[in-house]
Amino acid sequence: MATYDFLFSSLGLTEWCAEGKSDAPMSMAALLNKSKGTEAEQSLWDVPFPSMDALNDSCAAFPQSRELTQGLEQGFLAVKDNLSVVLDPITQPLSWALDGTLYGMITTPWWIVIPILLAVVLLVTKSWKLVGFVAGSLCLLAFIDYYVYAMQTLAIIFVCAFICVLLGVPIGIAMSRNNMMQRLTIPVLDMLQTLPPFVYLIPLIFLFSVTESKLYGIAIILYAIVPVIRMTNLGIRLVDPDVIEAANAFGMTSRQKLYKVQIPLALPNIMAGVNQTIMMSLAMVVIASLVSAPGLGVLVLQGIRNLELGVGLVAGLGIVILAVILDRVTKASLARINASQKQ
Amino acid sequence: MDRDIKISIRNLYKIFGPTPDVALEYVKQGMGKAELLEKHQHVLGLQDINVDMREGHVTVIMGLSGSGKSTLIRHLNRLIEPTGGEIAVDGENVLAFDEDQLRNLRRERMSMVFQKFALLPHKTVLENAGMALSVRGHKIEEFEAEAKKWIARVGLEGNEYQYPHQLSGGMQQRVGIARALASNSPIMLMDEAFSALDPLIRSDMQDLLLELQDELHKTIVFITHDLDESLKLADHLVILKEGYIVQQGEPQEILMHPNDPYIVNFISDINRARVLRVRSIMKKTTEAPDNVAGDIGERDNLESVIARSGGDTSLTYRVVRKGKQVGVLEVQDLFKALVPTESPEGDTRSHY
Repeated sequence: MATYDFLFSSLGLTEWCAEGKSDAPMSMAALLNKSKGTEAEQSLWDVPFPSMDALNDSCAAFPQSRELTQGLEQGFLAVKDNLSVVLDPITQPLSWALDGTLYGMITTPWWIVIPILLAVVLLVTKSWKLVGFVAGSLCLLAFIDYYVYAMQTLAIIFVCAFICVLLGVPIGIAMSRNNMMQRLTIPVLDMLQTLPPFVYLIPLIFLFSVTESKLYGIAIILYAIVPVIRMTNLGIRLVDPDVIEAANAFGMTSRQKLYKVQIPLALPNIMAGVNQTIMMSLAMVVIASLVSAPGLGVLVLQGIRNLELGVGLVAGLGIVILAVILDRVTKASLARINASQKQ
Repeated sequence: MDRDIKISIRNLYKIFGPTPDVALEYVKQGMGKAELLEKHQHVLGLQDINVDMREGHVTVIMGLSGSGKSTLIRHLNRLIEPTGGEIAVDGENVLAFDEDQLRNLRRERMSMVFQKFALLPHKTVLENAGMALSVRGHKIEEFEAEAKKWIARVGLEGNEYQYPHQLSGGMQQRVGIARALASNSPIMLMDEAFSALDPLIRSDMQDLLLELQDELHKTIVFITHDLDESLKLADHLVILKEGYIVQQGEPQEILMHPNDPYIVNFISDINRARVLRVRSIMKKTTEAPDNVAGDIGERDNLESVIARSGGDTSLTYRVVRKGKQVGVLEVQDLFKALVPTESPEGDTRSHY
């Protein structure tokens, strides 16, 4: 006798329930009861919630909750092959970009890569102080033989952040121009932002093989693309309506308005989004080392797995240094844009 | 239609709300603004507006905030779509324009100056001044000379490569005017263009505008809430109140013959001697009077005549235009014109 027997008998479903008796696996509670050999009278205090498992106790044809998760898994496996046919070619360029950049940054000798990075820093920030800081940090990492790992991490971040901007800015623009688009996109962004980072990895592991670099590429992009989309949308919506009116009054087409007014004026906000995107890529690239992303994250993982305290800590410190570099450089270039746009 | 009428507005209505067409019918049947808002939750923005704006004239639309003046000016280039009525520019119905024609109108034939300047903050003064030309697809090298010419004309020579935030409010609005002038459009719309400036600079800018107007003869539509400003600038004055026109006409005429207590109230504060001009109170005659005390210009204001007469009310002056007599002014009449107009209810200040 289970609690909800009365429900099925009153609905006249007893026969239907009996049909399903044979194959359903036993629930844990039923197993325990069976091993005890007694079927205790239940007090009101112990009435279970009418959950799937509780209902299954009364009616064997009713599905158990584990069948739900199994069904999801089977459904996913069923569409996986078809999905791969579509997704594989689309995402293949990501693998090439990641592999190419990784190969390029590591095989190019350090005395070329470091000056190029420093030149880029100088170009976007126009600050010699920052160049000095970045040079010092990179040399420190290289000195303790973490140069290769750091460059791998940087290469992945560059590629992923670039693709985030490439996809995120147009999505943000579309959202800012269409309220319906905004209403549909925001729940997706909310979900991407709140889903624990590890959860991204689960379906991706099923879809792609772990040896492919696009696996972690996609995980990083999904995680890090949210701020740039949000901030582009916000930035364009915040552009001074008076200026937009002036642009209309002088007969600008919507394309002229977008390129000559909205994007330039939204640039500080877009850059703030890019800064966040880069920082989130860095956070994810460490987690993605679980699915074979190379770089400093691997060392952290090694530290955890082999209890190599020193390796893990120093690698963590290296990540902090990279984070500070990336943050300072993007913030400095953001400040430069802000300075030229004071209203 | 008169040949020199540049912009003609006929029976223009604007109603804000979810179903303005339905509300328009109620208004045409005589429902008022308050009743419409209460019963149908629609805001009556403009009500039966009829104005003719002449080519080369400054038409000033004056009203307090909420009178619909900014809404009205935005109908001229269709930044706001009307609910009913007609707007014709050069005899063409603007409301029938498709997107291309409308863009063309905004690019080539109308330019606009804004209360809050609305310059592009990321562009230099030069690029801002050349905005209309760059919108038409010209490169900066092509419009540089033209833009520089107008920047110099509004008195900003040497500031070409600064950014708007480096300039004061008055200078920014000069850029705004240069931007409108550089578009070389025959019509200029000025939406409270000087309202955000402090009084001294405002007066400078008004002088600048009049000076430019003497030279360029644009058709200017000027919005303001300031009576002194409107009397100074207007060839044709339109007074709006709660979305309808209270009175329109020559400003001197309105000053001498206000037809509504609302206007009487407005003009009771001003210095009539400074605003009224000889032209509007002189006797029109070409016969030379006896005992002429001197010649005065028809555009002189009365204050200057009083100063010249030294307060002697027995004098008579000859009014001349370009050396020819057009009228006669007796100083006695001048003082009669300075008597404030009483509102029909007596005390002009009491009911506001």
